[in-house]
Amino acid sequence: MKGIIFAFLGGAFITLQGVANARISEDIGTWQAATITQLTGFIVALSILMFVRDGKWQSFKEVKPLYLTGGALAALIIFSNVTAIHQIGVTLSVSALLIAQLSLTFLIEINGWFGIAKKKMRLSQFIGIGMMIAGVVLLRY
Amino acid sequence: MIVGLLMALIAGSLISLQNIFNSKVNERTGSWATTSLVLGMGFLASLTIGLIMEGSHLFMLQNMKPWYWASGTIGVGVVICLVQGIKLLGATYAISIVLSSQLVFALLWDSLGLFGLEKIPFTFMQLIGVVVIAGGIFVFKLGGEIEKQKAYN
Repeated sequence: MKGIIFAFLGGAFITLQGVANARISEDIGTWQAATITQLTGFIVALSILMFVRDGKWQSFKEVKPLYLTGGALAALIIFSNVTAIHQIGVTLSVSALLIAQLSLTFLIEINGWFGIAKKKMRLSQFIGIGMMIAGVVLLRY
Repeated sequence: MIVGLLMALIAGSLISLQNIFNSKVNERTGSWATTSLVLGMGFLASLTIGLIMEGSHLFMLQNMKPWYWASGTIGVGVVICLVQGIKLLGATYAISIVLSSQLVFALLWDSLGLFGLEKIPFTFMQLIGVVVIAGGIFVFKLGGEIEKQKAYN
């Protein structure tokens, strides 16, 4: 039960983040919103890291440089997400976003890209994505 | 409409890539070291692109409100909830709930016009749409688990 609450809240926070960014960018601009929110997030995460010390910075050297830069994608993610929310609203944005997210992860997993363990494709995955697309069509009715 | 949809699809694809890259970092270090790195990188990238696009205008924040600074901590809440949820439920179930919950709250905040964003009136059809999409997420994520269990029995 506790796990379900955490997962449920996690999802709420993810959407809240997008909505807050959309609101803030109306006042100060999208790049400003992305810069400021990630700066404060970074400071808080770093402070927590100082307390919990759950990883050494040195271990970053063992990771391929490409993977270390993944965070930089957030600049483009926030920009596109904010633009989408302004244009088509939160529900449709999140729906389309999730379809793209699951479909690309699916494609990466069945091809074993980025050194990910290859997985077999399953019928249920096609049915799932089909249902999600059908749901988006219903949203527009 | 098309631009908005396209932007949402781009955002989703990049999130998928970012999740995979981040999990590669997380294999070697803890979740807070990973989170700090990810947010630090995001900050640097946003600052750089912002400076290229807007120059010194990037620092003109006339309409800045105090709570805007605090909103960055929402991301920290996301990490805490996801790490705990996955620990307690396992990744497949936790992520299925996280994704569906994103949708439910999207619909809620569209109907409320949260933070003064344009209100999108709630319709019954939208609720059905969201339920079908959430159903799709669970079929996508959990279908394999059920197939696997059948193979064992």
